[in-house]
Order: sequence, then C-alpha cells, then structure tokens
Amino acid sequence: MSRAGRIVLPILFWAFVVYLFVPLILMVVMGFKDSRFIGFPIRGLTFEWYLGVFEDTDVIVTFLYSVVIAVASTAASVIIGTWLAVLLNGKKFIGRAAVYGMMILPALVPGIISAIAFRIYARQLEIEPGMFAIIWAHAVHNVPFVTLVVMARLSTLPKSLGEAARDLGADPFVVFMRITMPYLRPAIIGASIFCLLLSFDDFVRSFFLGSYQPTLPVLIFAKLRSGMSPEINAIATVALILTAALGIWAERSSRRLKKESS
Amino acid sequence: MSDDTAPIATTAGRTREDRATLWGRIVANGPYQAVSRFVFASPRRQFLLLALIPIVWVITQHLAPMIQMLNVSLLEAYPLTVGEEARYTAANYAKFFEESVFQKPFFRTLVYSSTLTFATLLITFPVAYYLARYVKRDNQLALLLIILVPFWTGEIVRTFAIMILLGNNGAINIALQWLGLINRPIPFMYTGFSVSVGLIYLTALYMLLPLYSALEKLPRSYLEAAADLGAGPLTRFRRITIPLSLEGIGAGCTLVFLISTGYYGAPVLLGGPNSTVFAETIAGFFHNAGDAWPTGAAFAVIMFITALGLSGLFTLLINALRKGDTK
Amino acid sequence: MTLKMNRRTFLGTTAAAGAALASPAYLRRAYASGGEVNIWTYNQFVPDAFKEQFEAETGIKVNVRLVDDQGKQFNLLAAEAPNPTVDIMTVAGHRFLQFIGSDLLSPLDTDRLSNWGNINPTFSESDWATVNGSKWGAPILSGMEVLAYNTDRVSKDQVGTWQEFFSEQFSGETAYTIQDMLSIVMLMKGYDGNMVEYMDDPARAAEIVAEARDFLIAHKPMVRKYYDSGAEVQQMFVNQDIVAACAWNGPIAALMADGFPVAMTIPEEGSYGFVYTYNIANNAPNPDNAYTFINAILGSPEIGAAMTKASGFISTYKGATDFLTDEEKAASSFPEAEIERLQFFRAEANEMKYSLVDPAVEAVKAA
Repeated sequence: MSRAGRIVLPILFWAFVVYLFVPLILMVVMGFKDSRFIGFPIRGLTFEWYLGVFEDTDVIVTFLYSVVIAVASTAASVIIGTWLAVLLNGKKFIGRAAVYGMMILPALVPGIISAIAFRIYARQLEIEPGMFAIIWAHAVHNVPFVTLVVMARLSTLPKSLGEAARDLGADPFVVFMRITMPYLRPAIIGASIFCLLLSFDDFVRSFFLGSYQPTLPVLIFAKLRSGMSPEINAIATVALILTAALGIWAERSSRRLKKESS
Repeated sequence: MSDDTAPIATTAGRTREDRATLWGRIVANGPYQAVSRFVFASPRRQFLLLALIPIVWVITQHLAPMIQMLNVSLLEAYPLTVGEEARYTAANYAKFFEESVFQKPFFRTLVYSSTLTFATLLITFPVAYYLARYVKRDNQLALLLIILVPFWTGEIVRTFAIMILLGNNGAINIALQWLGLINRPIPFMYTGFSVSVGLIYLTALYMLLPLYSALEKLPRSYLEAAADLGAGPLTRFRRITIPLSLEGIGAGCTLVFLISTGYYGAPVLLGGPNSTVFAETIAGFFHNAGDAWPTGAAFAVIMFITALGLSGLFTLLINALRKGDTK
Repeated sequence: MTLKMNRRTFLGTTAAAGAALASPAYLRRAYASGGEVNIWTYNQFVPDAFKEQFEAETGIKVNVRLVDDQGKQFNLLAAEAPNPTVDIMTVAGHRFLQFIGSDLLSPLDTDRLSNWGNINPTFSESDWATVNGSKWGAPILSGMEVLAYNTDRVSKDQVGTWQEFFSEQFSGETAYTIQDMLSIVMLMKGYDGNMVEYMDDPARAAEIVAEARDFLIAHKPMVRKYYDSGAEVQQMFVNQDIVAACAWNGPIAALMADGFPVAMTIPEEGSYGFVYTYNIANNAPNPDNAYTFINAILGSPEIGAAMTKASGFISTYKGATDFLTDEEKAASSFPEAEIERLQFFRAEANEMKYSLVDPAVEAVKAA
C-alpha cells in the first residue's frame, strides 16, 4: 500500500461522509425550528414538531404501511430478480437478448409513465388500487436492479465449485442452494437495500396505485403543498430513526436465528 | 477468490454438520427424489423449469404495461371518452423530430447523465477502494452501514435540506460570511453546481455498492505479487485493480445512467432556468394538458429506446475490455 | 369581508343568487344514513375538527386522499374512469372544461345544497362557474397571482407594475412559473390573457402568445428560477435567493403569517384569480353522501376561516373574515384599488390557449 494512498484516501473518504451527513444534520436540526418554514435564521427552538409526530397516529400508521410495502415488494423482487439473473447468466438460449431487454424495461421508463402504465394495466387485471397494487408495481419496477447486481456477482462465480459438487452427485437445485446462493449473498443483500430504498422513497407509483391510505412520500408531498415545514423534517427524521431501529433489529434477530439453528 | 469465500466458510463452519444433515434429509426424502429425478432427467426439462416462470414474468409484467404505453403513444387522443373510436397516428413521434425545443432537453439529459455517471464513478471509486482495501474487514460493514444512513431520508426532504445548505442565506454562505471570507453571498443555488450536489447524493449509492463488492473480492495476493515483480502503484492500479473491478464499474455505471435519465425531482428543484431535463418535458405532457398523454408516451418511448441502446453499447464495451484484459 | 371583488368583472351571468338561498333544507333524510364519502383534496382543505364533527353527526366516514396538483388529479381520475373510487374532487374553476370534456364530473344540483347561499355570490355566480348551463362545483377557496416581494430589500413603489418586475433592478433575483407568467405578460401588454377575445382569430392569438414568449425569452437572463410549487417559492424567499416573485397568494400569505418580511401586491396591469371548488365525480359511488358532505362543509363561515388559516387562500364564504385574526386578515386581503384590477381565469378558450401556451413554455425553457 502506497503512502499517498494512506493519506489521501482517508481524506477523500471522510470528506464524502461529511458531504452525505451535512444535509442529514440540517434536516434533524430544522425539525426543532419554531416556525412554519425551514431555513435560517433560527429564532427559536421547539419540541412541538417531534412530539407531534408521535401524537399523530396517522403518521405512524403511514410509516408502518410503507415498511410493509417495502419489505413485501423487496422479497418478491429479489426472488424473481435472482431467478432471472441465473437464467440470463446460464447457457445461451434463443431469445436471451430479448429476455434481457424485457428484464431491464421497468428501469428505463420514466416514473410518471410507468405509474400510469401500471395503473391502466392494473385495471385490466382487475387489481384494486391499494396496498397489493403498490407492492406489485414496486416489485416489478425493482426487478431489474436486483438482476443487474446479482448478474455482476454471478459472472465471477468460479465454475469449478459447482462442477465439483455435481461430480459428488448433487442435483442442480442442491448445487444452487448450497453453492450459488451463499456466494450470491452479498449481492442479494446489496440488491435488497436498493429495493427497500426504491420502494420506501417512491412517490409516483405509490400515488397512482394507492388508495386512501398514503405511503410516507405521498403524505410528505401532500404536506409540502402548505410549505416545507419543520413538521415534515421531524417526520422524516423519526422515520429515519425508526427504519434504522428496524434494520438493526432485523439484523440482530437474523443473527440470533442463525445461532439458535446451529 | 479465496479472499472472498473465506468469511462465508468461517460463518458456515460452525453450522456445517447441522446443515449437511438438513440438506441430507431433504435430499434423501422420497418425494424430493422423485421430483428431482423427473425434473433433472433431461437438460431440456431442466431448462424449461428454470426459464418458464421468469420468462412468463417478464412478458406479462414487464412487457405488457410497456405495450400499453406504446399503444397510447400511437393514439390521436387518450384517455378516450366513452364511445370514442381509437385512431392511430405517428404524429406524436414526428413532433419530437420536428421541434428543436424538445431535442435540446433530450440531448442535455444524455450529456448530463453521462457526465454525472462519470463524476459519480470518480467520486465514489476512492471511497469504495478505501473501504474495501484499507479498512479492517470487521469495520467495513459498520462503515458501509453508516454511509447508507443518509440515503434513507427521502429525496424531497433531502433536496430541501440541500437548498437551505446552498441558498444565499444558507448554511455555507452564513459560515463563509462569519469567517470573513466573503462579503456577499455566493449564489450556489439554481446552477449546475447545485444540481450536481443533489444528484450525486442520489446516484452515489448505486455506484458505491457494486464497486465495493467488486473491489472487496479483489485478491490481495495479486497486488502483492505484482509489487514483488516491481510494478509501481500506478501500474498495479491500472493493470490489476481496474481490470478486475470492471464488472463492478459496469454494473454501477449502468445503474446510475439508467436511473439518472429518469430523474425528475432533484433537477427540477435544484436546477436553474437553463437546465430542463427530458423527464421534465415528458412530465409536462401529463401534468399541464390532459390531452397530451400520447405525446408524453411517445417521448418516453424515444427516451427509453435511446437509454436501452446506450446501456447496451456500454455493456458491450465493458465486456470487450474484460475479454481484452484476460487475454 | 375585506375582499370585495369587482362585480363588473365577476358577475357575468345573471343567475340569481337568491334562488339558491330560497332552496329548501334538503338532506334531512340523508343524515345519519351512514356509509362513507371519498374525497380527493389538498392538505388541510378539510379541517380536522369539521371532519370529526361531521362523522359523529352523520355516521358517514370521511376518507380523504391528499393530492398535490390538478394535473395528477386529472390523470388519476382519467385512469379510473368510468368507475371512479372518488365522490368529491377539488378542481380549480378554470380547469372545469378539461374535466367536463372528458366526462369526469357530474353537474352539481344546487337545489340539493341548502347552504349554497352561504357562498359569496362573487364566486358562486361568477361567469366561469356556469358551463353548459350547469354549475359544476361548490367554491371553497380563492387564489390569485400576486407580485410578492421581500420588504427588507424592496419598497412598494418599486413594484407598482409588472414592467418594473422585469426591470434591471431585480436582475437575477426573481422567480416565476412560465405558464402563469405568459398569461400575465399578455395582460401586461394589454391583451386578453384568457384569449377569449381571440377565439375567432387563431392567427391573432398565435401572434400574441409569440410576443409574450419572446418577451420571456428576452428576459430569461434576468430570472433566477422557473419554479413549480408554492413550497419552492417560499423556500427561495426564506433563503434570500430571490427578492421578488410572481406567486399564488396562498403560499405568500403563509410566509407573512409566519413573520417573514414579505408582502404582496396586484400590480397596475392587473392579474388573474381562480377558485378551488368541491366537485362531484361522474358516476361517483356515494353521490348522496357527497351532497351531504358539501352541504355540511358550506354550513358555517367558521369552517371557511379554518380553511383560510391552514392554506393562506381566501375563503369564498360570506363572513369568514370575522373569524380571522388581524394578521390573518392582513395576509388575506388587498386594498380595494388592487382588487379592482383582478380578473378570473376563464376556460372557454383553453383548448386554443394551451395549444399555443404549452409549446411556448417549452420554447422558453429550451431557449
């Protein structure tokens, strides 16, 4: 490792971290501002906005609704996306390019178009607007992101591993579950994070496919009509903390499960 | 590769016995064997099983809504009023090629997206490299998670935070004035700079994760061997690090490019009067005038065919580079 | 009411306001009938206290779906037609034709609304309110394009006219929405920004839009930002990125109420106003409950005042100002002389107007 790398790289790294966190810190601080608008100067501070978030059951319900949608749509996207990646990465077949092209379509269509296309299609399939419709649209939209990430990882899987297992008599399904899946784990975790984020932050599909219960971004957009208030910042901050808590809890419990099973 | 599979092997180590029996039990199970024997009897059957569900999925879920859009893009009017007959036309497409006011934002978007993709790569590569090569493995995940936290804030709230950071009366200008470095505020907002600050925030994650996962599995031994053979740091970077992380670069760039061609919120909120992007043009057809859906749909088709073509070309280029290097 | 609209400008039709007043108290039967009513509207357009009381008194559950612009509402409804999930929408008066043309609204039977007379006739009987011989919505809030300025930096005599808004003094410190500004530039140049006058002369209309477009292109180097939403223009004032803007009065009133040094005026050349109305969807699932709801929300000026407090827009209810504080009154009223200059947006020529204006907007953006 070169000396320049030891000095320059950490500086670049931490500069990047500062860049990421400054807007975040501003958001958290503005949630305490005693005004109807965010920005400087801050003349007074109040806990009212943050307390208000916890008193407002609508916000909590909306948050949980968004979490359920994000988790369910991510599960679906990851399964289908990984499956597609395995198919596209396997041996050549007629129409593979076409399947690849179709796979990537949802990522290419501008949000508003895809939302309206989904809305019209949902009606043809007789899917009622609401939670299931949003999960469905998010799942379809997020599949290409999973496939792209998993394919990148899959292309580096050493063939010898699978061949060895097959020589020992394992059938392809066992080879996939015992060799390929563990190897894909980091890619699948990364892809899941993408999907959760894309779903959690999606406005336009959630708006068009949703019903009377809004998702968090839909609620925030509606509130934005009366100005970017500290209230919105407080909601976003609380949502961030709750998501982080959920993430840590999920990670812990999956670890505990693994320990218990061993 | 050994570098990479190592942690999996260690975590799996403790449970290996147990899992072997679990899988052993599944595999030894009568019905499983019957199904397995039937499915895997011929490569053809095996392929059909693998291919059927995903192919049905992409056709019914990915393609069908787009065909619907293609259909709308060729209509004279949409939504149709009750009893109205659908009439088809190519005029919606012609509109794009006839008027330069639409082509300008189109090409601007392509240039923006390409530049943005490249800039994101330049900024995140050292970050991913530092994380993957210099940080102790135990701390890597923690640092990666810390970096991920700000991405959960949601685009709109974050974009407004950037506004109060960069505004004339924003945090940076206040700080600079307080330090006595400037007398008048610097107008950061509504410039190419503010758009970049907002957009790179959004795209960095999609570049960072693929880069990190590519760099993280780059075997240390290769670099050490190259150093032993007298290769300087630059040579090692150019001849080993870059080629071996090409698939990560490829995946990251494709993701960022695709996502950034569709970005709407951040450029609209942070951009100045001369930075209309194509997504904004398209959205205009849906928002302002209700009867312009077909034109909006036609423009969206033009955008996505272009983006698909470009990302395809890019993938070919990356593949060619990878093949060239392994020779 | 501090807002006294100019009757000469506003009272186009002669439909008698008294007829509505005299209508019998309908809907006793519908009360306590239960069920639900589905509403698409903007944040805080249905005051929480009212909603609770209404639900308790009638047993009708109120489902509110928040929307954030007219275009999205139209798209959503168009995608749901002909069997919408919604009963009541919130359409701006000058957008009526677009919704009516696509068969999305059902005509409003004002005889079923005993409280119709509580609306100031300036709004309920205005020329835009009657289309094809029917009423299509119950006016609730009114807004207008104003010239807003930072009072720390700009004095009122610097912004007496729209011409001054475009002068060198504010170079690099203004913001506006191109589409709205095109109408105002036409007005500033002495034309009819609603284009109703030129309905029989499309060539003349095209010339005028081209002139307005070229004016905005010539002044493009002096604008800081073409914005879309009220939240943006508010933030630009707070961040001091701009000192003057063309904006809707609602967002500016909210800034004023919060103590920011901002004021608004209707410049000499005039400006345009619009009205938000509650409308009943064509083929609505619960039309009876929809009438019950609209009648109830028109019930008292206090409800109108609550909507004004929350949104900054001006209430269409008679006597709503009595329930506002002095600051709120100041933020939602204009001197008589300025109100005289106001006209409503009109929809008659919209098809021609927007076929010219939409490409002009793109041209200004691309220039």
